[in-house]
Amino acid sequence: MTKSRIKTWLLMLPGAGTLLSLVLLPLSLLLLFSLVTGNQISLSGALSFKNYLNIFKQGLFGPLMWKSIRMGLLVTASSILIGYPVAYGLAKVVKPRWRNFLVVMIIIPFFTSQLLLIYSLMVMLQSQGPVMTFLALFGLDPTRSILYSNTAVYLILLYQFLPYMVLSLFSSLVKIDDNVVFAARSMGASRRRVFIDIILPLTAPALLSGIILVFIPVAGSFVESNLAGGTKGMMIGSLIDSNFSVSLNMGRGCALCVLFLLIMSVLTFILQRAIRYLERRRL
Amino acid sequence: MRKRAPWLKLMMVLTYLFLFAPIIVVMVMSFNTSQYGTLPFVFTTGWYQRLLSGVGLGKATWLSIWFSFLVTLAGSLVGILTSLGLRRLPETWARRFISWLNLAVIIPWLVLGIALLMIFNFVGLGRSYTGMFLGNFVCVLPYVVMLVYPALMALDKNVEYAARTLGASPRRTLVTIVLPSLLPAILTSSLMAFMVCFNNFVIQYYLAPFGIRTLPMEIYNLVRVGYKPDINALATIMILVSVSLVLLVNKLGYGSKKGLF
Repeated sequence: MTKSRIKTWLLMLPGAGTLLSLVLLPLSLLLLFSLVTGNQISLSGALSFKNYLNIFKQGLFGPLMWKSIRMGLLVTASSILIGYPVAYGLAKVVKPRWRNFLVVMIIIPFFTSQLLLIYSLMVMLQSQGPVMTFLALFGLDPTRSILYSNTAVYLILLYQFLPYMVLSLFSSLVKIDDNVVFAARSMGASRRRVFIDIILPLTAPALLSGIILVFIPVAGSFVESNLAGGTKGMMIGSLIDSNFSVSLNMGRGCALCVLFLLIMSVLTFILQRAIRYLERRRL
Repeated sequence: MRKRAPWLKLMMVLTYLFLFAPIIVVMVMSFNTSQYGTLPFVFTTGWYQRLLSGVGLGKATWLSIWFSFLVTLAGSLVGILTSLGLRRLPETWARRFISWLNLAVIIPWLVLGIALLMIFNFVGLGRSYTGMFLGNFVCVLPYVVMLVYPALMALDKNVEYAARTLGASPRRTLVTIVLPSLLPAILTSSLMAFMVCFNNFVIQYYLAPFGIRTLPMEIYNLVRVGYKPDINALATIMILVSVSLVLLVNKLGYGSKKGLF
């Protein structure tokens, strides 16, 4: 090995070591720990699939996983529907002087505590809060509130993750040459056609990374539903969390994590394929 | 392209309203006398006095600041080393390495936190400061590499070659040429790393030693117990800090021009 080769390896050592020992190893060991029953983690006992059997016997996993996936898809779809026009407006319509300011505003949530974002939306939605006071003008009862419901959880998640989608789409839209759109329009393509045949294929990679940045964390969220979901707000994340914070059954918690990761990987793979298909439609 | 696009602008206005109305309402409410954030509005600074007189939040705040500072230091150092190493690898390998590293960001922190807790329990570390440090460190590292590596790749290599042919040692080239031109990227990534660590509730919730509460954990408890106007005051201060950091990052040239993501 040459000297420069050795130097490369030395430089990579801390980062690669971190990746191996603090990401890949813990995640693969989850698989092993999920086979240990009870709360004591030792590998001396027999390994078995009891945890998985218990999970399916309990019957909570299916409905809650389905609910989390639905919530993830709903929030992702909403953020795409809102994100495209807003990102397009930022990239192509607003004046450059304003653009910088407006993009900086979108970045602010990244630098703010997730809990404070949740909290500020809870203040908005609480009974007799600003939203309910406003709705009272239209004859609704201001002491009632949608806080502590699935709608509140949906709004909070959308509020938290919309900026990710907007920024992701913006960074791609801003690179599209205006003349491409001009050319298509002047040759008679409708706005819809321009979007489907030009903008969508060109922004497909950014759309994919936006989807991954929104869908996976939303499906795995538990803080939002614990704080604002009320009694029926439980999601798969809350179920996983409860095995560690309430009922202390770590083996089962690990098994739930494994099932969750498995299903999410399959879904991500499918989404990836779907987006690749969109990209290939480029003329 | 100067179009009017009225519906598009309306959509943007509504979106920004959705994103910022709650923050502004919280800021306004932090100066309101009412206990429950209801109208009418009567001005007071009482909640700030109560907050600053220290209800236990002071201790957690200092812990979070110090802790995030250490994590940022380690994350930036290792992130820079990793980026320098990645530059020496073929670009496809480097890209692949980064996408593996990004797993720490993409996988829900709930799952990563649990995986780390299990392995720490297994090796006998358990819930500890060391464990919490390592957990936050691994969440911060991808952000540093994500920002520093592209900046490193964008540097003109000829300047370094020139320095080398003029007799500068590799170390001298690194210190006088490469690191100074990376400074904006390094500062931006450090700020980003600091905020990610400072606000990382989930990892800290799983890995913090028993009985120790960082600021996000304190806020979680306050929010769960119910509406408390001192959170408004705290939120206002924290959001103002965030806004000034974002403006600083923007001054460093990041944001809309180079794209933070």
